[in-house]
Amino acid sequence: MNAPFYKYGLFQDEVSLVVAFVIGIGFGFFLERGGFGNGRKLAAQFYFTDMTVLKVMFTAIVTAMVGLYYLSVFGVVDLALVYVNPTYLLPQVLGGLILGIGFVIGGYCPGTSCVAVSTGRIDGLVYLLGIVAGIFVFGEAYPLVKGFYFATPMGQITLPQLFNLPYGVLVFAVVAMALGAFAAAEWGEKKLGSRIVEN
Amino acid sequence: MKQKLARLGLNGRLALIAFTLGLIALFAGNPYQGSQVTLDAKELGIMVDREVDHVTVDELADWIIKGRSDYRLIDLRPENDFSAYHVPTAENVTVARLTEYPIQRNEKIIVYSEGGIHSAQAWMLLKALKYRGVYILRGGLEEWRDRILFPNIPENPTPDQASLIETMKEVSRYFGGTPQTWGQGKDSPTPALTLPKLEMPSSGSPAVPGKKKKKEGC
Repeated sequence: MNAPFYKYGLFQDEVSLVVAFVIGIGFGFFLERGGFGNGRKLAAQFYFTDMTVLKVMFTAIVTAMVGLYYLSVFGVVDLALVYVNPTYLLPQVLGGLILGIGFVIGGYCPGTSCVAVSTGRIDGLVYLLGIVAGIFVFGEAYPLVKGFYFATPMGQITLPQLFNLPYGVLVFAVVAMALGAFAAAEWGEKKLGSRIVEN
Repeated sequence: MKQKLARLGLNGRLALIAFTLGLIALFAGNPYQGSQVTLDAKELGIMVDREVDHVTVDELADWIIKGRSDYRLIDLRPENDFSAYHVPTAENVTVARLTEYPIQRNEKIIVYSEGGIHSAQAWMLLKALKYRGVYILRGGLEEWRDRILFPNIPENPTPDQASLIETMKEVSRYFGGTPQTWGQGKDSPTPALTLPKLEMPSSGSPAVPGKKKKKEGC
């Protein structure tokens, strides 16, 4: 989030680190308050008994999207300065699957495991050690997987470009999708009931 | 209506706000500032006057030799000229394609063409689109050829010129050129200068994206 302001030259590297730190702490705090430090709650997502993850994530996406959209329509933020991760379709699909499987098994994703560690959860600590081990293995194996890593490149592409749609239409579609997902999630939760005992 | 709103609860109201904003977005237009631009004429004028927007061929040669990678060098000439010869590290982008070429606005961009006209036009275009660090290679490829690849070396250099000339020769050879001796071309017709083969580390494609790893996750 500090990217556009950083690139406008409003502050330098050092200040940018401080800003990142403050945002990071805030991010972690709200994750924890949202219950994301609890592996059971997170994993329940995949059994459709507790859809908090979906609701929080989709809310964050919609808020950020609508916010960025209007800020740039009013000329406050220059969207062209916001970094877009380049798309490598197949490797990213596979990476997403691996992350998802790890999420179901371990009950955390990388960010939430750090949140769990900060509140002293041992499963979070084990998960974090697993991440570090995984990073190490990947780093060592990088020459072997490099070809696949950069396979099917699509460049820095965004959905409006991909579907050739006006930007506003996509904003509306995502908002509608989110609202539909919220309604479905609430309905599903009522149906399946919360089988989670907070601990 | 008011009663209905009161019964909605916080979530419902937030959902309503999101939906309304989404609906307005349908008609609010494109957030990217398109190809319509505004110019700060005064600022541009001052920049042109002070010539702060120039990079000399000597500076550029120095950067390339030192292997600096904090700039993007853009060759504005047509593709076949580019493939015949280009300054090492240059990327080929014609003026028309410039606006859609993936360059970040905060990057240091150096443009060059054969002489100076196209690069001046590209400079104006990029400046208008609010690119921050845009520079023109002074004298373009012509000057690169005359000063870097085939520099004119005086026949009988004075002692204090000597070290400078050595550097010139070295730079010239580094880029695959040949230093010319002063006065050679005056009475005899200029020998055809063949441009060096492109053996230099040069990249025709943009630098591989993703060098800067960004960690973004949930």
